[in-house]
Amino acid sequence: MTPLRRIVWMLLALASTAAAAAPADLGSLLPLLAAVKSGEATFTEQRQVTLQDMTRTLESSGRLSFAAPDTFVRETLKPRRERLAVAGNTLTMNQGSRSRSVPLDTVPEAQVLVEAVRGTLTGNRELLDRHFTLQFSGSLDQWTLDMVPREPLLREQVARVTVSGVRAALTEVQVQLAGGDRSTMKIVESRAP
Amino acid sequence: MNVQALRRPAAWVWLAAMLLGAWLATRATYVADLSAFLPSSPSAEQRVLLEQLRHGVTARVMLVGVRGGDAALRGEASRGLATALRAGGEFDSVNNGDTLGAPKAVGELLMGHRYLLSPAVDAQRFSVDGLRDGIADTTAMLGTPAGAWIKPLLWRDPTGEMARLAETLLPSGGPRVEAGVWVSRSQPRALLVAITRAGGSDLDGQAQAIAALHHAFEPWAARGLSLDLSGAGVLGVQSRTLIKAEVERLALWDGAIVLALLLLAFGSLKALGIALLPVASGVLAGTVAVSLGFGQVHGMTLGFGTTLIGEAVDYAIYYLVQARPAAGSAPGAGALHWRRHSWPTVRWGLLTSLAGFSALVFSGFGGLAQLGVFSVAGLLAAALTTRHLLVDLAPDGAPGLGLRMRLGQATARMASALPRLRWFWGGLGAAALALLLCLPSAWRGQLTHLSPVSAKALTLDASLRADLGAAELGTLVAIEAPDEATALQRAEQASARLDPLVAAGLLAGYESPTRLLPAAATQAARQAALPDADTLRARLKLATVDGLLPADRLEPFIADVQAQRQARPLTRADYDGTPLATALQAQLLPAAHGRPWTVLLSLRAGTQALPAARLRDAMQGLPDTRVVEIQPELDALYARYLREAFWQSALGALAVLLILYAGLRSLRRLWRVALPLAASVVLVLAGLTLAGVALGVLHLVGLLLVGAVGSNYALFFDQLAQQDAREADAETLASLLLANLTIVASFALLCTSSVPLLVALGEVVAPGTALCLLLSASWARRPGGVGQSGP
Repeated sequence: MTPLRRIVWMLLALASTAAAAAPADLGSLLPLLAAVKSGEATFTEQRQVTLQDMTRTLESSGRLSFAAPDTFVRETLKPRRERLAVAGNTLTMNQGSRSRSVPLDTVPEAQVLVEAVRGTLTGNRELLDRHFTLQFSGSLDQWTLDMVPREPLLREQVARVTVSGVRAALTEVQVQLAGGDRSTMKIVESRAP
Repeated sequence: MNVQALRRPAAWVWLAAMLLGAWLATRATYVADLSAFLPSSPSAEQRVLLEQLRHGVTARVMLVGVRGGDAALRGEASRGLATALRAGGEFDSVNNGDTLGAPKAVGELLMGHRYLLSPAVDAQRFSVDGLRDGIADTTAMLGTPAGAWIKPLLWRDPTGEMARLAETLLPSGGPRVEAGVWVSRSQPRALLVAITRAGGSDLDGQAQAIAALHHAFEPWAARGLSLDLSGAGVLGVQSRTLIKAEVERLALWDGAIVLALLLLAFGSLKALGIALLPVASGVLAGTVAVSLGFGQVHGMTLGFGTTLIGEAVDYAIYYLVQARPAAGSAPGAGALHWRRHSWPTVRWGLLTSLAGFSALVFSGFGGLAQLGVFSVAGLLAAALTTRHLLVDLAPDGAPGLGLRMRLGQATARMASALPRLRWFWGGLGAAALALLLCLPSAWRGQLTHLSPVSAKALTLDASLRADLGAAELGTLVAIEAPDEATALQRAEQASARLDPLVAAGLLAGYESPTRLLPAAATQAARQAALPDADTLRARLKLATVDGLLPADRLEPFIADVQAQRQARPLTRADYDGTPLATALQAQLLPAAHGRPWTVLLSLRAGTQALPAARLRDAMQGLPDTRVVEIQPELDALYARYLREAFWQSALGALAVLLILYAGLRSLRRLWRVALPLAASVVLVLAGLTLAGVALGVLHLVGLLLVGAVGSNYALFFDQLAQQDAREADAETLASLLLANLTIVASFALLCTSSVPLLVALGEVVAPGTALCLLLSASWARRPGGVGQSGP
C-alpha cells in the first residue's frame, strides 16, 4: 500500500464513522430545525401549581401552529378557549371576547418563553444564545435542550426552559418557574412539513 | 467734558433716570421660553394646546437616557437614579419600568377601590356564572410567570380585578424591558421618565431639577456612564443658556466693532464716550419699559436690544458730526446750528421709526409686543438723550477729527458718483419686484423657527420619545365642562365612542382620567352591583363546584367586597402625593384663570390610519368635546401670527407715510423719500427668496427696522436737497456713512449667531440698511449740491 493510498483509506474511514454516529451537538441539530418552515401540532399541558398548602394540577389541551420566521400561535381549546399569538414583536392574547396586544419585549418574562420555543423551532442559534445559557444532551434522535435565562432578574421568575425533541420535531416543552410551579407541554405533530 | 453741563437740569434728570432704570432692570425677570411667542387670545382648540404647553404635565416631563457600560450596569444605574430622584424633592414621580421599585401605596389605594374602578364590575360579574368565569380566567394564569403576580392576591381577588385594572392603566405600547428596566429598542440606552415638581415655564426650577439629576448621577458618571437629557423644561433651560451666551457674545463683539468705528471716525475717547450715552440710555429704557409693561423680559427682546445699538448710535453720530460749528463762530454755536437745521430731520426720522414699531405694541403675541415696546422706549430715550444731554456735554459736536475729514471727502465723491447708477438700481428694483411676483411666496416660516433649540437637541428629543414608544397620534380629544363631575361624565361618554375605534384597530388606545377616577355615578352603580356577604357566599359555593379554589378559602374576597360596598367613592384628593397624581393632572385640568374644567384624552395611533374627520364624526353630538390636531393647530397658530404681524406692519408703514407727508407737505418729496425704502425692501426680499430662506415673523420685524433706519437716510438726502450748503453736505454725508457702517456691522454680526431668530434679523437689516443708503444717494435730487451730475 502506497502512502497515498493509506491516507485515502484513513480519510474514508474517518468519514464513515462521522456518518454512522450522529454527533450529539447543537450545531447539527439547529440546521435540521431551521429547515422546517412551518408546522401544526396538538398539545396537552399539565401545570403543577402550589397554592399555600395545596398542590393542584391544571390540565389543558389545544393546538399549536408555527410559520417561519416568527409567527407562533397557541390555541387552548380545553378547558376554556384561549388564544395566544406571537408575530414578530407583537403578542396578542384572546380570552373570551377580550383581546389585548402588547409588544413582546415589554414583557420579558413572556418574551423568554416565546423565544425559547421560537428560537428552537427556527434553529436560531444567535437568538437562543442571546437569551439563554444552553445545554444540549442526547442524540439527534432523542435530544434535550436545557435553557437557563441569562438575565439574573429573569431567573427569579423563569428558572429554566427545557425543550425535548426527535430530530426536527419538538415533543415536549417544560417550564420551571422560580416559585416552584412547573408546566409540561407534550406535543404531537399533526401535520408533517 | 463740559463742566457747564452739570449746571443744566438735563444732566441731572438723565442721571436720575438712568439710576432708577438700572435699579429696575436688575429686578426684572428674564425668561426665554417659547410661551411669549404664543397668542393671548387663542381659539378654543389653541387654548387647549397652549394650556398644555404652559401649565400641562407635558411641559414637566423630563426624558432621561443612560448610556455606556453594559445592560446590567445601565439597569443598576437606572434603578439607583430612580431611587435617588424619588428621595429628593425636585421630582413628583420617576418611572423607569421597574415594577418592583414602584411605590407600594398606589397598589393599596387601587386594591382598596378595585370594585369601584374595574370596568368589568356589574351585576352579571357577581352572578354564579360571572363568578365562575372570572375565577377561571384568573386561575388560567397560574403556572405561568404571571401567576407570581396573581398568587399573593388570589384569595382576596379571585376574579382578577387587579389584573384588569393593570391592563387598563398600563399603556400597551411601552418601551422594551431589559435587566428589569426600560431600554431603547434602537441603541444601548436605559430610559427613565421623570416629572419635575417645578412647572415647565419655571426655568429656574427646571434648572434646579436638572442640576439635582446630574448630582444624583455622579456615582454612575464616575463608572463611565453618561446621560441623555431632554424634555420641554430641559430645552427651555438650554435655550435660555444659549440666548444668554449669544446676547453676551454679540453685545461684546458689537460693542467692540462700534467702538473701533467710532474711534477711527472721531479719534477721540471723549467723543466715543459721549456717542455711547444714547445707546446705553436706549437699551436701559427699553428693558425697563418691557419689564414694567409685561412683568418679564424675554431673552429674545434683549437680544434684539443689543442690535438697537446700531440704530441708537446713529443719533449720536448725526449729532457729533453735524454739530461741528462753522469756522470762527462762538462756542456752543454748533449745538444751536444742529438743533435748528438737523434736529427736525432726526425728529421726523424718529417719529417714523416710532410709528413703525408701535404697530407691534398692539400685537396679540407677547413676544412681538415686547419688541415693539422695547423699540419705542429705546428709540425715544436715545433721541431724547441726544437732543438734551449731548447738546450740553458736547456743544460743538465731536472735538476730535480722526478720519472724519477723509470720510467726508470719500462720501462726497461717492455721493456724486452714485446718481450715475440711478437707472441701474431702478432696473434692478423692477426686476426684483417682478421676481417676487413670479416666485412662490417665501413666507413659510414655522413656529419652531422661533425656537433657538438646536437641530441636534431636537433629534435627541425625538429619539428618546421614539424609545419610550410614545407613538402619539398627535391628536387630542379635549372636553370642557363647568365642574369636575360633568367633566368626568363627559369623558366617559367620549370613551364609549372611542372604544369601538380601539376594537377596530384604528386606535391602539387612549388615556382617560376616568380609568383612575370614574364619574361618581359610575362608581355608585358599581357599588350597587356588589352583593351582600350572604348572597355572595351562597353564589361562590355554586360557582366553585369542581373548581380549583375551594369556596371556604375565599372569605377574604367576601370581606373585601363588603368593605368596598360601603367605601367612600374615590376622589381626586385620594391620589394626592402618589405617582398617579401626575397622570391624573395631565388628563384632568381643574378650572383656573377663567377657563373651565378640561379633560384631555390623548390618543395612540393604531395599526390603520385614523382620519381626523372620522374621529370628529365619532365625537359628533357630545357637548363641548373637540378633536384637536396638534401640528395643524400649531401651523394655524403661526399663520395667524404672521398674518397679524403683516397687518400691523402694513398699518405701521401707512402711519410712516402719513407722518412723512405731514412733515414734507409734498407728494413729490414723499415719493423721493419713500421710493428708496420700498426698493430696498423689495431687493432684500427678492435676495432672500432666491437664497431659499424661509421667511417668518422676525424677517418682518427686520423690515420694519430697515424702514425705521432707512427713513433717516432718505430724510437727510431730502433735507440736503432743500439746502444749498456744500460744506454741511460733506459732514452730513459722512455722518450717514458712519451711521450706516455701524448698523451694517452690528447686524452682519447677528448672521453669525446660532439663534435662528437673530440670524433672521441680521440677514434682513444688514443688506436692507446698506441698500437704503445707496438708493437714497443714487436717487437724490441735488440742486447745486455735491451730487450735481444727474440730468
